[in-house]
Amino acid sequence: MYVRIFAAVWLLVCALLAVVAWGFQAPFSYDPVGPRAYPLLLLLLMAAAAVWLLVKPGEAEDLPISWSLARKVALFIGGLFAYALLFEPLGFVLSTALAGFGLGLLFNGRPLPSLLSGVLMGTLLYGLFDYLLDVPLPMGLLAILEN
Amino acid sequence: METLNFLAQGFDVALRPINLLVALFGAFVGTVVGLLPGLGPINGVAILLPLAFALGLPPETALILLAAVYLGCEYGGRISAILLNVPGDAAAIMTTLDGYPLARQGKAGIALSLSAMSSFIGSTIATIGVVLFAPILANWAVAFGPAEYFVLMVFAIACLGGMVGDKPVKTLLSALIGLGLATVGVDATTGVYRFTFDSVGLSDGIQFVIVVIGLFSVSEMLLMLEHTATGQQAVKASGRMLFNLKEFSFTWWSTVRSSLAGFVIGVLPGAGATIASAITYMSEKRMAGTGGRFGEGDLRGVAAPEAANNASACGSLIPMLTLGVPGSGTTAVMIGALTLYNITPGPLLFEQQPDVVWGLIASLFIGNVILLVMNIPLVGLFARMLTVPTWVLVPAITVVSVVGVYAVHSTTFDLVLMAALGVFGYLLRKMDFPMSSLILGFVLGELMESNLRRALSITNGDLGILWSSPITIGLWVLTAVMLALPGIRWMRARAKAKLAHA
Repeated sequence: MYVRIFAAVWLLVCALLAVVAWGFQAPFSYDPVGPRAYPLLLLLLMAAAAVWLLVKPGEAEDLPISWSLARKVALFIGGLFAYALLFEPLGFVLSTALAGFGLGLLFNGRPLPSLLSGVLMGTLLYGLFDYLLDVPLPMGLLAILEN
Repeated sequence: METLNFLAQGFDVALRPINLLVALFGAFVGTVVGLLPGLGPINGVAILLPLAFALGLPPETALILLAAVYLGCEYGGRISAILLNVPGDAAAIMTTLDGYPLARQGKAGIALSLSAMSSFIGSTIATIGVVLFAPILANWAVAFGPAEYFVLMVFAIACLGGMVGDKPVKTLLSALIGLGLATVGVDATTGVYRFTFDSVGLSDGIQFVIVVIGLFSVSEMLLMLEHTATGQQAVKASGRMLFNLKEFSFTWWSTVRSSLAGFVIGVLPGAGATIASAITYMSEKRMAGTGGRFGEGDLRGVAAPEAANNASACGSLIPMLTLGVPGSGTTAVMIGALTLYNITPGPLLFEQQPDVVWGLIASLFIGNVILLVMNIPLVGLFARMLTVPTWVLVPAITVVSVVGVYAVHSTTFDLVLMAALGVFGYLLRKMDFPMSSLILGFVLGELMESNLRRALSITNGDLGILWSSPITIGLWVLTAVMLALPGIRWMRARAKAKLAHA
């Protein structure tokens, strides 16, 4: 069932992208193929595969959705997006400490050890990446401390 | 003779202190990444890639690091397979079948040491194969024009569908999604923006590191989330720690056969270590017949797949180095690494960058010795790493992945894209779509399109060039065979079922 739903959605995506791809035209070009043909070919093949899966989705088992797990997955995804969006404003150290704490709890860690591992990760990895490996990381809020 | 000179030159490069150090580090990290359930060579290489780049390592050193990680993962996967009944990486799935029963019988030490030995034999045989065949293939590949390249890539994708077998359509769709992701960004020939939806972040195309880390690492964390509840206890490695001569000679021929088969499967573009270990396990089981105790703790059941997955890992470097077409998901990531250094793998690499190529090949020999020496006495240490709790492990991997992605462009956009791709990858994996095909498609994408367009420019749009030379015709025939395989297998299975029914 899930595969069928996916195949249907994907077919729709292919159609929408094909409309977008139809507009890919170079003002002038010496290339007989142009920028449009190849993406359209791919979309056509993808649509064919999606139709196949719609008709014959295979024997994938349809497990009932476990809501407690779905909640955890949603929390993880939300946390990850939050980490991504807060990475620059809060800075590496703070956002990583938060993410380490949150993810630790999500993976059944106890609050205090998770908090500790989050803070340690934020500070130690900042030192490792920024000073030793020369990977520039954002300071964010902690930039005030620098001045 | 010339090859030996080049190899000697390679050893010169590989034996430089920095390269030895990097190989040692890579072997250690690789083994750890390999043994942690869920993390495979692709994750290991993907996580270390931005690091290697940020450290400013020269290309040959970076490549040696990544290759050592790759080999190390193939060694490490077996540890959790044997002690935990959970494959450390996909290629070790077959090792669980006999490895865990052996561990339960108190033979964990023997299974671990013997499989380390067969891993060593597998990679060594395959590395010799690389030395012998890679230069020949590179010489031959110089004759490849754009049309030949395009058909070769069609063949690579057909290999995926044919070999992965039971779900050819999903494999194909995965590869197509990968090819499609590669079209995002400015079209190199005409400068037209494709699928960027007016976003600056996408105008440059989707960065390779983001795709790999999103699809593999992030989706992996989500899958790990599902398994946190199942706290499995590792069997303690007890009993005799080293195999004896009798056990070694018992598995010797299985190991050699599986090494050769694994090498050949590795060389085929698209087919990787997972398939190699599955095929060799099955064929050893069939050969042993009723005399074997496969599934209940047969030593050949750990020796064969381990030899094969290591051999295949080395073998997959051949198409990567000589043709620029990855032989496995991990080599796809390594091609990405080379392009970060502005090095295009392909036949000319042997002429233009002998240091890189031969340094890498020589380092495989050295890496193998390091891994064997490391794996037999340190197995206890590695086994203890299986007890790192997920609540520390997962956040740590997440942070390293995020830093890896951020290091590329320093924009939040990339991080959000990574998270989104992770969710997409998670959904695909839940529905059994193979991710390695997607990555292969993504790596081949740009090459495939540019070669097709270049070929058609030569003939001014006449498609005939795609089947005008003996090489292209030969490749089309091979492609047809690969595409027909699932059909043939299906028909045979149906005939069998009918027979059983009658």
